[in-house]
Amino acid sequence: MFKEFSALLGKEIILELRGKYALGGLLLYVISTVFVVYLSVVKVTNIPVWNALFWIIFLFAATNAVAKAFVQDGKEQLLYLYTLASPRSVIMAKITYNTLLLVTVSLVTYAFYGLFIGNPVENTWLYLCTLILGAAGFSGTLTLLSSIAAQTNNNVTLLSILGFPVLMPMLITLLKLSKNAADGLDFSVSVKYLPVLLALNLIVAALSYILFPYLWRD
Amino acid sequence: MEIKKDWWKFLSIVLVLTAIIGGMLIPVPRLAILNETIRNLFYHVTMWFAMMILMTGSVFYSIKHLRSFDVMDDAKARISAEAGLVMGVLGLVTGSVWAKFTWGAYWVNDPKLNGAAVTILVYLAYMILRNSLPEERQRGRISAVYNIFAYVLLMVFLMILPRMTDSLHPGSGGNPAFSNYDLDDTMRIIFYPAIIGWTLFAAWFAQLKFRLFKLNYKLESDLFDLKQPS
Amino acid sequence: MHIHSVPIKIIALTFLILSTVSVFAQGDIEMADRMRSEGKIYVVVAVLSVVFLGLAVYLITLDRRISKMEKEKENQ
Repeated sequence: MFKEFSALLGKEIILELRGKYALGGLLLYVISTVFVVYLSVVKVTNIPVWNALFWIIFLFAATNAVAKAFVQDGKEQLLYLYTLASPRSVIMAKITYNTLLLVTVSLVTYAFYGLFIGNPVENTWLYLCTLILGAAGFSGTLTLLSSIAAQTNNNVTLLSILGFPVLMPMLITLLKLSKNAADGLDFSVSVKYLPVLLALNLIVAALSYILFPYLWRD
Repeated sequence: MEIKKDWWKFLSIVLVLTAIIGGMLIPVPRLAILNETIRNLFYHVTMWFAMMILMTGSVFYSIKHLRSFDVMDDAKARISAEAGLVMGVLGLVTGSVWAKFTWGAYWVNDPKLNGAAVTILVYLAYMILRNSLPEERQRGRISAVYNIFAYVLLMVFLMILPRMTDSLHPGSGGNPAFSNYDLDDTMRIIFYPAIIGWTLFAAWFAQLKFRLFKLNYKLESDLFDLKQPS
Repeated sequence: MHIHSVPIKIIALTFLILSTVSVFAQGDIEMADRMRSEGKIYVVVAVLSVVFLGLAVYLITLDRRISKMEKEKENQ
């Protein structure tokens, strides 16, 4: 099981590194979005607005990033994959890989966003911690949904339609926690959100683990 | 219709009628701002309860569908969700009207409202997903997975949301209305039957729709059999 | 259709109970007390009930029609 998982994860990473333009395209997407925001508002001093804008950019970038998780391998390729590996290790490998991808994207977004728009964050460690939890949660939710959306023919649009309402609980908690981190509030104020986020990530991962086998069976 | 089998349909009529008659006539707590509109509890709030119960039914059939792969279970899941959506939209519209007269705006930033809006978005997405999957078996399976996934996260959302923000609704700070959702006991007598009544009423519609679906399905498969030389 | 016996009695009973429990205490907060004391509220309640019952009866006929279709399908 673990061997299968690590082999699949390795495969995803190698594929990503081989086709450099995919990751590059994603990063360019983030940078140009940030630049558009910069051109329209220049500097944002209001922390809630700063924070909300950041998460919106990241949310759209994440949707775009994960949308191709099941599209880049064609239908035949996926069928072949399923004969080799159990569906549960496939989904876990995809989620892990997407988490790594989204962490990278979020860090790049954070860096460029801070560079252009300004960075008022006081508690950087907590903010980065929120980013990682957020990336893991987004990846857990969106990976399963992207395998659903991949079975239709307008998958990116459908992924946003399916994903945004479902992501709402996570997003609202993330916004709260990251705003607290940006405001530099005492850790004791924000600590209660961490278990909520962890629990959400666990729920999402467990649901994907249970439900994914039903998606590819034909 | 036979009373033995369809007793719940008559029960729904009786209970909704109780809600209409009783809801208008019983004495209610005298509260500022709300005044007589507190009676909307029997008509507006019950829509949400009915919707949530129907959605739960929908998820139940989705789980059943994943175990049996029966087309009929999938149809039941879809139709319950549709009936739930109707109740949800009615709840949203009635809530909007009520909000205008108590809080001064058709839409206020309130976790209960936002939770309701997200619920409706989720189920609209469910319907769109169904429509973009042409093949019957695939559609049943995939939309069942989405239904279960979304329902669990929705429940989590409805649980954590009120803890994240203040609500105008009863039970939270800053609200002049009933301070701790302590409905008064006479209101309870009508409120609970009203929930059951509206739910059963919507379930009745859903059942009719399902029976029509089944008839249509049989008719179509008959036609198909005629075409196939055996 | 055996609607005539039990439910009607229950409706009558609930109506009776509910119309007797109504107590309209005067308070500081303005309510539609006048509408109640003049008995006009019953007019509204009656109208609402009739509308709902009408819809319900319509639904029942629809239900029976579908039942008939189901029977025809089975006997085919």
